Amino acid sequence: MTGKTARLIFWLGTLSSAAIFLWMTYDFHLQTPKFTHTEKLTEEVVDGKKVWHKYNCNDCHTILGFGGYYAPDMTKAFYRLGENNIASIVQHPEVIYRNSFRKMPQMGITEPETKKLIAFLRWVGEIENRKWPPQDEKFVEAYRLREAQPEKLEKVHIVMGACGGCHSFEHQGRNLGGDFAVIANRINYDRQTLVNFIINPQSVRPGTTMPPQDVSMQTAGVIADFLISLKSTQGVSR
Amino acid sequence: MKTIEFESQRVSLWYFRIALVLFILQVILGLWLSINYAFTLPQGVVDVFPFSTAREIHTNVLVAWMLLGFMGGTYYILPPECDRELYSTKIAYLQLAIFVAAAVTAVIGFLFGWTRGKPLLEIPFPLNALIVVAALLFIANVAMTIIKAKERTALQWMLLGGVTFLALMYLFGMPFYRNLNTDYYYWWWVIHLWVEGAWEVVTASIVAYIIMRVTGVERKVVEKWLYVETGLFLFTGIVGTGHHYYWIGAPDYWLWWGGIFSALEPLPIVLMVVDTWMHVRERRNPIINPLTWYYIVGLAIYHLVGAGLWGFMHTLPPVNYYTHGSQITVSHGHLAFFGAYALLNLTIFYFAMPRLKGINRYHDTPGRWGFWITTISMFMLGLVFGVAGILQTYLERFLDIGYSTAQLTMMLWFKIAFGVGLVFLAGVLITVWHLFTLKPSSAPAPEEIVTPAADI
Repeated sequence: MTGKTARLIFWLGTLSSAAIFLWMTYDFHLQTPKFTHTEKLTEEVVDGKKVWHKYNCNDCHTILGFGGYYAPDMTKAFYRLGENNIASIVQHPEVIYRNSFRKMPQMGITEPETKKLIAFLRWVGEIENRKWPPQDEKFVEAYRLREAQPEKLEKVHIVMGACGGCHSFEHQGRNLGGDFAVIANRINYDRQTLVNFIINPQSVRPGTTMPPQDVSMQTAGVIADFLISLKSTQGVSR
Repeated sequence: MKTIEFESQRVSLWYFRIALVLFILQVILGLWLSINYAFTLPQGVVDVFPFSTAREIHTNVLVAWMLLGFMGGTYYILPPECDRELYSTKIAYLQLAIFVAAAVTAVIGFLFGWTRGKPLLEIPFPLNALIVVAALLFIANVAMTIIKAKERTALQWMLLGGVTFLALMYLFGMPFYRNLNTDYYYWWWVIHLWVEGAWEVVTASIVAYIIMRVTGVERKVVEKWLYVETGLFLFTGIVGTGHHYYWIGAPDYWLWWGGIFSALEPLPIVLMVVDTWMHVRERRNPIINPLTWYYIVGLAIYHLVGAGLWGFMHTLPPVNYYTHGSQITVSHGHLAFFGAYALLNLTIFYFAMPRLKGINRYHDTPGRWGFWITTISMFMLGLVFGVAGILQTYLERFLDIGYSTAQLTMMLWFKIAFGVGLVFLAGVLITVWHLFTLKPSSAPAPEEIVTPAADI
């Protein structure tokens, strides 16, 4: 190979790749509104992104899979956790993760900031990114189903969709607040008390760390029935 | 062997010294991160010094010492390559002072929460601007030295092109983007086009120079290889950026273009290994300092394994769907940065620092220990992170077990990583101590000098 051929390889390689890349960048900008629903990219969402940056969330959490790997991915966090859970985790991490092997710092995030952050995470969750991360897709589906046809939902789906952010059941959900199989056997509440507990935990057991759940009476009833049913099957089998 | 030919090459010494100190700081912070993983820290500690702060220092210090090594290395090789003194040593020192002042302020700022909260590019605006000023001074100094040189060489232009490309890409990380997806689109213009673009060009140029000087292989041959390698690096690397765009919400064709081009990315590294190996075999100079040669060959092989092989393993979309954003990325990141760039900088240091001290043949026993301890323990670390990553992928994404439960299952491997990290730190301390206290070897030179390298 002559020096001339080598130079030619350099320039051909570099320029052709740069040309392809720049053209695709142009096309990326044309298509981004479709993939990220920019019509929903409101000022509140942008403010939420600033909150996300201000507290350096991204150096522990990943988002779109990028960032620190020390804490869960936040791309679909809105579906996985729901508004309420995000708010309570962000504002009271020292309570939520009191017994956890890994802590989240208390950063003094204010309530208005939390609202903006949730708006941001809701918008991020809607980015059409080929159903990534795979493990959170069940939460997205559960959320969409709940929204579309609440009456046709399976019980486990409803319960884990609403509670899976903190509770686990048969390897689903996150075991922060305990596993439902264990809880069902521990508690002695009747159905109505359980419904009250779900909607306003403090009214039944003052000092509990569980945050109030923003669910309808009907959903709370489904969850309560589910828990009670777990208890009875275990009782029978014993 | 001569020591240094031009007095202005001495500016590089301060770049190297500061880089080495930052290297130690980076590794200490890395150990702290692994403590965060392996043990449960009290809430009080987490509130004051969270993982995120430690991580931004760990990564920014990494970038800082890499860049200091590149800049120092460039200043070291430029005068002999241009056959004249640097355009200005004052600019070189001024630029170093600005860069270091900005870096130190940034690290202190991070401790108090002064951050842009954008991974790897957390340095807030006014400091950012200082970095740009330092970069402009650097490029101006390099360009003026080259312009005023009597002889034109391919290496000069490649080096200038590389550092200009590097500085230019940094600008894309500076604005605030309203849309997260666009934010990350341009974030990769900095990160990817650095490590798989500009940095590779700078590396290839510096390695070409060092190989030429150490082995005595003809310039014509080395420059030919340099053109082909950088051409292939940029050909595969630029469109290869697409392998970061699979899951950010971008058009489908990125899966194909990103996948195919990035799968080709190991090719130029293979070429680099081949040409290093050939030049070492066909050397015209005797091996005076074996350790420097260890680093040259080690760099080529580790570069191929860490960046090439480990990157290839999870670059294709069907694999990446499961491995993206897991400890597998951590494994790849550590092996690639260490193999390609930390070893490059250490190669530069071991090439230049003895000469700057006027030592022809240095006593290398501690340095050899440092070399083997760091390279082996970092490889172990890569394997440990890799096992943790495979576990994480399997538990979270195949068995559908929650994040925390998966992390608890991986805990054994985080603890092993901490232990291996301690060994790595020991290796780094030995290496840095050796470089700071280089002494002439008392052993007589084993071979006669066949061809002096001075005629290149």
